[in-house]
Amino acid sequence: MKRLLPLGLGLGIAAWLLPYGLDGYAMHVVDVAVVFALLGIGLGLVMGVAGQVNLAQVAFFGIGAYTCAILTTRAGLGFWVAAALALLAAVLIGLIVSIPALRVQSHYLGIVTLGLALAFLNWVTNAGVAGKSEGISDLPVPPMFGIDLSSDYLFYYVEIIVFAIALAFALFVVRAPLGRRLRAMRDDSLAAAALGAEIPLLRITAFVLSGLYGGVAGVLYAGLIRYVAPETFSIANMFLLLAMVIIGGRQSIVGCVLGAVVLSLIREVLVDFSVYAQLGYGTVVVLMVVFAPTGLAGLPALWLRRFRASQGRAELHSFVPYGEARAPEPGRVALEIREVSKRFKGLLALDRVSMTVTDGEIRGVVGPNGSGKTTLFNIVSGFYACEVGRVLLSGEDVTGFRPYRLSQAGVARTFQNLRLFGDLTVRENILVALDRTRTAWIWRYLVRPLAVVRQSRDLGRQADELLERFGLAEFAAAQPRALPYGIQRRVEIARAMAMGPRLLLLDEPAAGLNGEEVRRLAEIVRALRDSGVTVVIIEHNMGLVMSLCDRVTVLSSGRVIADGPPREVAAVPEVIEAYLGESTYLSLPGDVSQEAGR
Amino acid sequence: MSPHKPHRRSHRVWAATAACLALGVLAACSAPGDTGGGASDTGPIKIANVNAQSGQLSSLGQWETKGVKLAIEEVNKAGGINGRTIQLDVLDDQGDPTVGTNLARKIASEGYVAMLGTAESAVTLAMAPILKDAKIPNITSGQSPKLAALKSPFLFLNAPTSVTYDETLAKYLVDTKGYKKIAMISNNGTYGTGEHDAFKASLQTRNVTPLADEVVTPDQKDFSANLTAIRQQDPEVLFIGAEEVESGLIVKQARELGVKAVIAGGAPLGTPVYVTTAGADNAEGSVVSSPYLGNDVNDATKAFAAAYKAAYNEEAELHGAKAYDGAKILLEALKKTGGAGGQALADAIRGVGRNGLLGQFAYDDSGVGVHATQIGLIKAGGLVAEPTS
Repeated sequence: MKRLLPLGLGLGIAAWLLPYGLDGYAMHVVDVAVVFALLGIGLGLVMGVAGQVNLAQVAFFGIGAYTCAILTTRAGLGFWVAAALALLAAVLIGLIVSIPALRVQSHYLGIVTLGLALAFLNWVTNAGVAGKSEGISDLPVPPMFGIDLSSDYLFYYVEIIVFAIALAFALFVVRAPLGRRLRAMRDDSLAAAALGAEIPLLRITAFVLSGLYGGVAGVLYAGLIRYVAPETFSIANMFLLLAMVIIGGRQSIVGCVLGAVVLSLIREVLVDFSVYAQLGYGTVVVLMVVFAPTGLAGLPALWLRRFRASQGRAELHSFVPYGEARAPEPGRVALEIREVSKRFKGLLALDRVSMTVTDGEIRGVVGPNGSGKTTLFNIVSGFYACEVGRVLLSGEDVTGFRPYRLSQAGVARTFQNLRLFGDLTVRENILVALDRTRTAWIWRYLVRPLAVVRQSRDLGRQADELLERFGLAEFAAAQPRALPYGIQRRVEIARAMAMGPRLLLLDEPAAGLNGEEVRRLAEIVRALRDSGVTVVIIEHNMGLVMSLCDRVTVLSSGRVIADGPPREVAAVPEVIEAYLGESTYLSLPGDVSQEAGR
Repeated sequence: MSPHKPHRRSHRVWAATAACLALGVLAACSAPGDTGGGASDTGPIKIANVNAQSGQLSSLGQWETKGVKLAIEEVNKAGGINGRTIQLDVLDDQGDPTVGTNLARKIASEGYVAMLGTAESAVTLAMAPILKDAKIPNITSGQSPKLAALKSPFLFLNAPTSVTYDETLAKYLVDTKGYKKIAMISNNGTYGTGEHDAFKASLQTRNVTPLADEVVTPDQKDFSANLTAIRQQDPEVLFIGAEEVESGLIVKQARELGVKAVIAGGAPLGTPVYVTTAGADNAEGSVVSSPYLGNDVNDATKAFAAAYKAAYNEEAELHGAKAYDGAKILLEALKKTGGAGGQALADAIRGVGRNGLLGQFAYDDSGVGVHATQIGLIKAGGLVAEPTS
């Protein structure tokens, strides 16, 4: 970060001196480019960082510009008062647009937001107050202590100051815990929820931010052009904006700015060949998506990775057990499941399942495929709502809690088929889980940025400790998907432990691990239990279950058919029957049922 | 590596930054501004023609450009002005006001003496304040009353406004023909809205309330819902405020639905595009208010049509004629100023009393030069003048 300071300062000075080298036309083009860059940041935040497909950005832009125009010309308000209200309006519209995002995602969300953008366009073309298709002309020049802002040169300085603040804030948000959470949500909203991210609130936040940036761009546009008309906010311009963000690199704010500026300038150069220009944008977008999905901003990283690939491999170190151990209170119930049933259409996945896990226990849950093990986990961690039955956590009824609330109540889980955040580094994966603040905490980003920085630094220290403990320090900067499967498994357990849970649910943690890795896994799980965490583990590897678990619950066709210490359970006739034909489950060494199974 | 080195380097970086900063403060003492950019007195005289060359309005833009080119080439063939040739640059506004404002700055800073176009009122409206500040005269092909309302001394229209078109039309329909049952259909684009408002206002002064007032969008293709509503009112006249192709589609579908009303509207209804889209039978008898009733009205229009045909191998029409008139007026004014622009050129344009293809030009304060249109009728697929009674 420190290295970048002189670079940023240099760019700032260059931007400050830029007008001295430009003629009036070039100056105006640059002014327009800055407006688009602001829009690009907004779209980058909502689409690139938060992963919400938003085709209504151009409408946020329009709301800002039109509100400003209507309030100054029709209501006679001063420019800056109107501007403040315009920002408010844009944020409000962002809030409204976010409502569908709570229900639908990806391309469905794209269609919904596109519809909202069209509705806006339709409204301004038809509403008398918006000047219909002729738009609103003769907006007042923004007053500024006697500085004549009708000059494009001087207006540029207003723009560049606003832009610098907006860019700094966006970069701050993206790098701060909030941005990490947004990115985690983008990569895997289920896993993010399991780590305590309040997904609905985060989605609203993303749209509000993009509304804010759209509004700022709209206000500056109104002050610059002093004329608004529907064509400016057309779907064609939305596409242009999208092209800017995709070409620049949607996951990087700097990339979005780069894309917006470059494309704005190219657009001016190609103004006399606009038919081909449209075709050109389309082609470039397709090429970018196929060959460089991270855009211009992603190219250096892409090359760097190729360069780094030839360097030495990082090494997985062994786990360092937690020092202090909390003695479990004997007999105290950590998790109680009472008569839980779950039905999927015609299939009864869980049929009055009851189970009691005492504090400090390692409980195994086994059963053939489709017996309802993962469904049970999904109910305990809040992904499914159960129609019948109750779930109690240390005696507290948590039935029907959303995943983030359960996570806050101390439930952590891993997933059968690994749900790490693919575009975040290992360290960031851990950091997402470490951050236990509520999303409502984000007001501090505006009011007390220093508190955020301090918190961020604290989290970083804790993350490094945790990585060290799990022997993952050398993989801190790696992207999880580039790592071997066994290491990814360990990262996921480390991430779950980062939440500081009371109850840890492990869904097939040994799947895909080799013998040595399974042995290490058993060590880690025991150490975690010794540190005071209650563990429930779904596993097919019977050897592991038998040696690791204090008690084992056996599910078959959604019902509990046995419950008790491993040796006892293995002898229950129903269990042997349930396992008939599935020899893999009977890999218990020296067990008689192994022969029976074959 | 010695431990002092990184420190020294960062020190140097800071020194450099401080130096840059000082430079910036020094430079900031004088505010930046546009120094050059004025039109030069030698070399070709630069005129910009701004029109949509791409997008939905491109056909309109291309007609305009053809008319302008024709006028410029005539002058250049005759030796230019004061021995200087006219350089015509066609700039594409894409029908987007934002692009329009960019182009206005370009025109202001790259030495153009005047601008011709655009055909899209919204774009002209966006550009007008910038051109006014830069003292660059603009002869537009837009006809929105809002253009006249700006009262910019540097903005001129090459045709009457919608108010004139529709006042003439209402006068003919209501006062001369005695129709009272009038229905309206118009689109919510700039042109359609202007027509809608102007015609409705003209009806109101005659105490006529339209039976139906349907609003469609510029890219709508199916009007059956709107036309069914209109049919129920059984109007004598159906007024259409829409561009050529859309007008044709509306009339075609209206006749299919059994609407018998007389069709009436502005200039678009006088074009061959309208007649072919609607079908000659359906368009028969349409009442058109237009300053340009066809290529055979007088010697001037015949000469223009012949030249147009020779240059582009297609029939001349209103938009080309409008743009041609505008360009001719500009060139005449340039002759008077000897190629100079600015206030002198604007004054000269105001003084040009050209007897043009669209009528007698006499510019008033609001920049409107032609104040009358004529009534024409579609007969056997062609536009003929309605003899004034």
